[in-house]
Formats: sequence, C-alpha cells, structure tokens
Amino acid sequence: MTTWLGNWPALRQLTGPDPLGRGAAAASRKTRRLTARVAGADRVVKSVCPYCAVGCGQNVYVADDQVIQIEGDPDSPVSRGRLCPKGSASLQLTTGPNRGHQVLYRRPHGTDWEPLDLDTALDMVADRVIAARREGWQWEQDGKRVRRTMGLASLGGATLDNEENYLIKKLFSSLGVVQVENQARICHSSTVVGLGTSFGRGGSTTFPGDLQNSDCIVIQGSNMAESHPVAYQWVVEAKARGAAVIHIDPRFSRTSALADVYVPLRAGTDIAFLGGVINHVLTEGKWFEEYVKAYTNASTIVSEDFRDTEDLGGLFSGFHEGTRHYEPDSWQYEGMVVGAASGSRDQEYNELTHDGESRASSGHGESHGSGGPALHGNPERDETLQHPRCVFQILKRHYARYTPELVEEICGVPPETFRRVCDLITANSNRDRTTAFVYAVGWTQHTVGVQFIRAASILQLLLGNIGRPGGGIEAMRGHASIQGSSDIPTLFDLLPGYLPMPHAHQHETLADFVKADSAQRGYWANMDAYMVSLLKAWWGPKATPDNDFCFDYLPRITGSHSTYDTVVEQLEGRCKGYFLMGENPAVGSANSHLQRMAMAQLDWLVVRDFAQIESATWWKDGPEIETGELTTEDIATEVFFFPAAAHIEKAGSFTNTQRLLQWHHQAVEPRGDCRSDLWFTYHLGRRIREKLAGSTDEMDRPVLDLTWDYPTEGPNDEPVAEAVLAEINGWDADGKHLSSYTQLAADGSTVCGCWIYCGVYADGVNQATRRKPYLQQDWTGREWGWAWPANRRILYNRASADPSGKPWSERKAYIWWDAEEGKWVGHDVPDFVPDKRPDYEPPDGAIGPEGLSGSDPFIMQGDGRGWLFAPAGVVDGPLPTHYEPQDSPFTNPLYPDHDRNPARRLYPRPGNRLQPSGDEPGAEVFPFVLTTYRLTEHFTSGGMSRWAPYLSELQPALAVEVSPELAADRGLTNWGWATVVSARGAIEARVLVTDRMTPLTVQGRRMHQIGMPYHFGPNGLVTGDAVNELTSITLDPNAHIQEVKALAVDIVAGRRPRGPALPAFVEEYRERAGITAETGTAV
Amino acid sequence: MPTREEVLRRIDAGEGYEDAGRALGIPAGLAYLIATGLPADGSDSLAPEDYERPGLRLGGTQALLGVPHHNPSERRSISEFVHGRVRADAQMRAAATTQQ
Repeated sequence: MTTWLGNWPALRQLTGPDPLGRGAAAASRKTRRLTARVAGADRVVKSVCPYCAVGCGQNVYVADDQVIQIEGDPDSPVSRGRLCPKGSASLQLTTGPNRGHQVLYRRPHGTDWEPLDLDTALDMVADRVIAARREGWQWEQDGKRVRRTMGLASLGGATLDNEENYLIKKLFSSLGVVQVENQARICHSSTVVGLGTSFGRGGSTTFPGDLQNSDCIVIQGSNMAESHPVAYQWVVEAKARGAAVIHIDPRFSRTSALADVYVPLRAGTDIAFLGGVINHVLTEGKWFEEYVKAYTNASTIVSEDFRDTEDLGGLFSGFHEGTRHYEPDSWQYEGMVVGAASGSRDQEYNELTHDGESRASSGHGESHGSGGPALHGNPERDETLQHPRCVFQILKRHYARYTPELVEEICGVPPETFRRVCDLITANSNRDRTTAFVYAVGWTQHTVGVQFIRAASILQLLLGNIGRPGGGIEAMRGHASIQGSSDIPTLFDLLPGYLPMPHAHQHETLADFVKADSAQRGYWANMDAYMVSLLKAWWGPKATPDNDFCFDYLPRITGSHSTYDTVVEQLEGRCKGYFLMGENPAVGSANSHLQRMAMAQLDWLVVRDFAQIESATWWKDGPEIETGELTTEDIATEVFFFPAAAHIEKAGSFTNTQRLLQWHHQAVEPRGDCRSDLWFTYHLGRRIREKLAGSTDEMDRPVLDLTWDYPTEGPNDEPVAEAVLAEINGWDADGKHLSSYTQLAADGSTVCGCWIYCGVYADGVNQATRRKPYLQQDWTGREWGWAWPANRRILYNRASADPSGKPWSERKAYIWWDAEEGKWVGHDVPDFVPDKRPDYEPPDGAIGPEGLSGSDPFIMQGDGRGWLFAPAGVVDGPLPTHYEPQDSPFTNPLYPDHDRNPARRLYPRPGNRLQPSGDEPGAEVFPFVLTTYRLTEHFTSGGMSRWAPYLSELQPALAVEVSPELAADRGLTNWGWATVVSARGAIEARVLVTDRMTPLTVQGRRMHQIGMPYHFGPNGLVTGDAVNELTSITLDPNAHIQEVKALAVDIVAGRRPRGPALPAFVEEYRERAGITAETGTAV
Repeated sequence: MPTREEVLRRIDAGEGYEDAGRALGIPAGLAYLIATGLPADGSDSLAPEDYERPGLRLGGTQALLGVPHHNPSERRSISEFVHGRVRADAQMRAAATTQQ
C-alpha cells in the first residue's frame, strides 16, 4: 500500500523535493523505462534526404548493421533539422517491407515473373546491350559520321548520385548510345536554357537560405510550402522580418495561405502577367537605371534585320514555316556573330540540317547551362538607350501592349490586383531593397517553358535584383540530384559541365567543335581546356593530340533524341532495348498510354527500382491489358527487374536545388540482390568489355579504350564512389587533385570529368562531406558541402556592388572591392576574377576572362552582360511573348493568327491527338483548364511514396479539385466520382469541392480550372489513374519539355468506363470535337 | 539528479559537457539538457531569446549523445588510384613537362 501510494504522482510531487512538478517528480515508472529510439545506436551516419532537391540533412542511426532511425540533421544550414513528411518516412522507404530484394525476369510472352539470379541476369543484359547496339548501329547519317547506335536508350538519373550519372553517361557514350535521358528533361530542362541564356549559367542564381534577406518574395509556378516545405522556412523567416510574400498560382494552397497577396491566374498565362509587370516597370520608370545600363545588354544595338512579333503578327523574323523553326541570324547584335549560327555554315550544312532545323531541335540551348552562346566581335552600344534598335527600346515596344487590361483579358487577374503586385515588387527593388522570384515546374512544363523563365529573368535584371542578397531567381527542383543530373548529364544533348554533345553536321573535329561553341571572351572561352580534360578522363592514355584526344569516339547527335523522341523510336521499332533507372514513365511522363505502347514494342526492358512500379508490370496489369489494346501473351518484350539500393546503402553525392553537392555515406550493405546504380553500371560495363575483349571492330574501340578501372570494395565489389568523384574533380600530371577549373589545360596535361565540379575534391578532401554546423558560420553556409562553381553561393555577385566596386547600399552589401587588399571581398566567394579591378578595361584584342571589363558581372557570357534580349541560345525567340497552351479554351488576343508557340515541337500520331482550341469548332468539347501538381506526401510518379504506408495513409487517393460553382454546374459532389477527359484519355478521381479553385473571368467568359496531383498509378498501396493519360507529347522547342501544367479537358460526374468501352468513350469525344491528324497543328 | 546550477557551475569553470556529465554521473547529453533546457540532439527550434541561454553551444551538440558520427572526408586509396592513372598516361606527363 505504501509503495502504491508512493507512486501516486500527486503525493510524490507534494511530499518530495520537487513540489512544483518541474523535475524528477514528473517522471513516472513508465516514463523512466522509456528510452530514445536511437539509444541503442552504435553510429550516426551523415546523409541527405533522397526525395526532393531541397537537400535536407539526415542522420542515419545504425545499430548492429541495421538502420534503426532516420532523423533530420539539426546542424544543416539547408534544413536546420527539419524533414517533411516524405523525409520523415524515409526509414520506411528504405527498410520497409514493400521493397523488392530479388531480381525478377519476365520472358517473352510470359504471363508472370520468374526469379533469376543476379549474375545470370546481368550477363543476359550485357549480351542484349551488345546485340541491340550492333543492330541499331549507324556509322553515318546523311553522309556525315555519327558513330552511334539508335538500338537502345536509357532513362533515369535525377534520383541517382552524381557518380552514378557520371558512369552511366561515360559508359553509354562509349557504346555509342545517344538516347540517354533523365527526369531533368521532364522537370527543369527549360530552367537550364532560360537561366543559362539570360545570365550564363543554368542553375539557380541564389539559394533558399538567402530568401530570409528578401524584402519581397514572388512565388509563381510553385507551391513551395507544400512541394518544398523545408525550404519554405526561409520564406517564413523573411516574412517575420517584414518581407511581403506574393503567391501567383492557379490554385490556392498553403503557400497562398501564408502569403500577403494571393493572385489566382489562368494556368499557362504567366508570360502575359510578367510581361505586364515588365511594361509597368518600363512605362512607370521603375527600372534600376544604373544597374541596367552597366550590367545588362540594354544599350546593345541589334541587327537591322530583326523584326519583332509585334511587327509580324506573332512571329519573330527568321521563321521557316515548313520546318517550324527560327533561323536566328537576324536576332544578333550589330557587330557580333554567334559562332555556331553563322560563318561556318555552307550550302551543304544547310541542306543536311534542313536549313538548321536539326541544329535548332538538338537542344543546344541547354549547353548554356554554364557558358553563354559563342559570341564573337564587338557589340555596338548606345549608352543613352535612345537608339531605336537598342535592346531597351526594342523591349519597350515589345511589351507596350501588355497593359493591365490585357493582363486581365488573358490571365483573368483584375487590374487592381495586378497593380498591387507591381507596386510591391517595384517598391522592394532598389539600392536598399531586393525582391526574389521562386518558381518550380509550374513554369517549366509548358510549350513556352523557357520563355516563362526568360520573362522573370528580364524583370529581375530590369529591377537590379540579380547577384544581390535577397534577390535572384530560385528554381525549386524536385529530385535529390536533378540539378546534378543536368550538371553531369544523363541527357542526350549534353556532356558533363554543359559542354554540348557534338552535332554530326557541325562538330566533325575537335577544332570545329571548339570554334563553333566557345566564346571569345569570358570563361567560356576556355572551353577547349574543359573538353580536352573530359576526354582525358574518359579515355586516359588513349586520348592524345594525334587523335584529337579521341574526340571521334563520341557519338554524334543529329537533332532531338530526347526521351519523347525515344518513345517514337520505340513505337517505330528502331529502339529495341531500354533501361529505366529510378524512373517510371508509365505514370510520370506525358501521354503515359503512348509510353506503355512504346515499351510493348521493345525486345527487352531493364527496370531498376525499389518496387514493382507500373513501368515494370504494364505487360501483365497495365491499363491496356484491361482495355484489350494489349494482350500479355502477345507481348514479346523481355523484362528484367533489378532491385535498387537506397541512399543509405551506398555512398555518393547529390546536387541540390542550390547547386550544392552533399555527400551521403553508406550506412549498411544492401540486402539480397539490391545494388547501387554505380555497381550496376560499373559491372555491366566490365562484362561488356570482357565480352568484347580482343575485338578488332572499330565500333568497339571507344568502349574498350575507356578508363574503367575503378577500385571496388566490400562484399559486393562496390565501386569506390570517391574514386569516381576524384575523376569528376580532376587531377594534374603529378597526381595532384585540382582545386579550380582555371587550372585546366587543353594540351592533355589535366584530367577532369566535369569542369564545373572541379574543386569538389581539392587537396584530396571530399569537400561535399563538409558539415560545419550552421550556427557556427554565417547564413551562406559556405562550410557545408560544396557548391558549383568554386563554392559560390550567390551567382553573379559582382553585381551586388556598383560599377565602382562599392555596395549598392550598406543594407545589401555582399561582395565589394577592397582597394587596400587589391581584391574582391565579402560574404561569399566572388564570382569574378578575384583581383580584377572594377575600373579594368580590356586591351584591344583581349580574349578569355581578360576580355571582360571590371564591371562585367556575368562572366560566362561573351559580352559579360545579363541578357534582356537573347540574340542567340533560345530557339523560339529573343524575347518572351504570350502564346496560348497547346490545348486551350481561349484564343490569343495578341496574335490571332498564331495562338500557340509557332516553334513548339509536335508529335502528331495516333494516340497523341491534339484538340481544337479557342474559337475553333469543337473546342467547346473541352471547356475547362486542367493543371497538375505535387502533394507534400507523395513523390513524382509515386515509386518512392505509394509503397510507403505512412505516406499512403496520409494521401490515400487521387482527387480532382473543383470549385463549388463548377461542381454545381456539372453535378459533381464532394467525395463522389468524376471522369476527366482529353483527346488522349479519360481518368477517374474522387471529387474535392473546394474554394481553393477560383473561377476567373477570361476574355469576358467565366473560366473554371481543375487541379489534379499526378502521383498515382495502378500499383502500390494506394492506387489511382495516372493523370498523364490525359496529357499530350507536345514540347517546348528549346528544352523538349512537355506541356502538362495547362491543358483543356472536360469533366463529368461518375466513374469512367471499363474495358474496351474506355477507348471507345475517348474516341467518341474525339469525334464530337472533330479531331483529325491536323487538329491543333497550325503554326 | 544534478541541478541546473550544478551543471552550469562546471561549464562556467571550463569543463566540457562530457567531463561535467562524467563527474556528475549522468550522460553528457542529459547534462546539456539540464543546463540549457534544450535537447542535445537538436530536436528543438531555437527562438531568438534561446541564444541567450547560459551553457548554450552553437551547433554540433549531437555529439553529446555519445553515438559516434560517421562522416569521413578522406581516403588514402584514392591517391593510389589517381597516381596509377597518371603513371599509365605518358602523353599527360609529357604535356606537363612541355608546359614547364
């Protein structure tokens, strides 16, 4: 009794030494027995979250070689210990029961999986690669050497480590494979072109942590609070300091709820909105005159041949209607030429490239990810900005019609709301104040995606917000290393460091290549050193000056070989083998029906993933099996499922959305047959080389001569990831690890696998492992990880000081000239020649970095300036202009004869039919605008979330968001079923009736928008139709990104038809709308 | 259980939390929690006023939990790999010699 009474908390508290119950008295016997979940851990392995591109730090707790807990790393300056629901569920992702651990094989015409041992499976794949490569081999095309195979392709890399992407690109290029792609194409390829051509580099100009210094933050095309919640903490910090937050988006979300101003607009009309702000800034005199005159190309005179869309009714000069592409000669600066686009061409070039079309379609704009177009000559300038052909005057004329009334007519935004946004932005953009823009795939995934980003770039340059603290443009990327998979590209058009893949008709020799693409001034003038160092990294002693450093070993591109072109190659039977490495196109790529139909034409398919995603099982349970469009027994495709290792089971680096490389260490060995992509690629390459050993076939020389000698370790012979990183970083002839790309040479004396990453392994230290707690350094966090280039955190930061080198204001001081020390100093690594005086003027004929003046902050541009007008690099126009989405219920009031982007890439074929738009007959069949988005609790196509019980429970079903008004109009009830239909497909979803979807008035009509997340598919713990059944393959012509953020649809109450009735239902819609092969294809 | 004052007295005298905890018979992380009111594992957010708390350490307190951290930044074998590549590449070495 005494004991029982003694354990009574109140008595214990009142009679003991802790009468207020603030100490030991509060503890019960039960709580005393509790231990921390990590109490038994024997080590904490430092890691990085594998989901989105924020790059939150993770602590992985290990006990007895088992991962027992994963928590946020409180020392990380990126995340400060926080994890979102996905990051918090990563223990379940990695150790949960739904991962596959066994290799599976589906034989041709087989009806089910069969287990297969890993060794046999890898050997079979090696055989199939060799055969498909040979079958699809091309030595020449149109009489030009291409040395490539079109017989196989790969897709995936944004979720992989940089080292894995590096080996994939290296091996596949040596095999002659050009169809190498990853999610970066699908998510942010337009970012690379948009930011790259504007500023000289295609990555975010700033980092989320610096948003805390912003006075105004415009979030547009992004639901940052839900899609990148941990990064949103910096917006909240800014708000707490008094910043204004503006959210411009079709759908009200948690981002809107925390904003000062929420502006709903019609999806796909952001250029009209931003163009309106640009017009406001120019007409109201709100531009930052000193910044604009000194740091942009506003004063540069443009060729007299240039004609604007305002002159030609929606076309820029140089348009070829037959091939639907622009010849950009007339857009160039007076007195300058772009090497790639002019002098070197001859009649043969024009014939072979269809007047340059194959070049225009080759994704060359992405090569400006770290180096602007190859400008040569001296631009003419009018510093008064009065010359009628100077960029400033062209800009004023171009945007003169973008009035508040036009913004309302196109976007559905009332003039008073628009005016408020303009006032907030301009009031917070000057010497003392800065405004930042944040965007995500709401901007990138359009047929004018690049131009969305260009529009923001123009505005930020006019306002003087680039290169300054609290300013900039933050591209919020969506995968752990999607920035890395652009930098070290598993992309068809790029080599590491944004060096272009050579084009057959233009890059026959190394000298041609360098001549065509290197600039005369700035650091891009040293492109030959970057390229030769890469060739030395790949072919080592075999690469010598006598053989052009094996430049001929690189396969040549001849146009677009993007993932969507690969789908066509598969449908046509030319591409026979396909690797999917952490990517699920059966759900996540545009027109998922066509994706599956293409895979059904393959000879073999390799899927590497955690679980049996839809891209692995379409042959037995895909939607086409139910509709009867495919029959399992008739499908000849062999399918291999290789279980992948998780981030905790391998070592490597991710590059996050702020260009920051962070290393994650291996915590435990992977179970069963699970292996890293580093292991898979290395050992696949090793086996192929063994099988080809002794071959005298010239075709095999590149892969046999490849440097493929990485050390291995552990029970699985895992390649040492640090060795790959060391090769990426580079070394000199003394074996010394390089510390800067300025050390690279074009004579073969240096090796460097990716010049922009040079420095990440400086001094033999893995700089990506640096983890100094954020509280022990300033907000830039420069001692945490390593950011490209040269560990700079805000790019173009020379522009944070005025032309004389003084900060624009004390409040916004960042980098400045220290005359006493004779160098640039401040809070960051100067993005400039460290000791170049601000008054430096280049001598006549100076080239390279010395060719730019002391007040040219954009050191990767050939003219050192930020580009308001892009004389080269963007294939659909030097200035952003409003065009309607491909499938739109509205006409384009600006250009009635050219509603849509005239240079967009179309793929007219059965299964990818387009819709009538605007006032075309039949457009009324698809009266609503659909936009797609991401949920906090799910991840892209669901492969990393729909198998996780926690996340599945939190977001258990596909839903379609509609306004109460639309619900009443269409008889939709909350949590009832609705069917959404386009010309491509029909899907069903639960209805969510919500005020979050705001009806707008556009062109005098009531306009309803529909919102749907795109994560769902038929497999996993939670299932639903894939929203990409609705979308078409219609692409931005620069980056080949698909338009999935704005399309016209119909919505009706009830569930969709089943079986053969489903395609018949969609066909009935197409007939009702009068859709033919030509519909929607007008220029 | 030691009091806050007892822990802080030792910290103010220059002892680390590891030594203070050892002397007081408690884990270092618990000593930190008692002294600052903040968990050593960093699982709390710091308000501006928290930076004034006596005994506060700016980051890195996870080490007080006593679980060793695994974050190696160098590997000797990489140097062997790199030098092997250089040894195999006569052109590279010759080009460097020519430069000099």
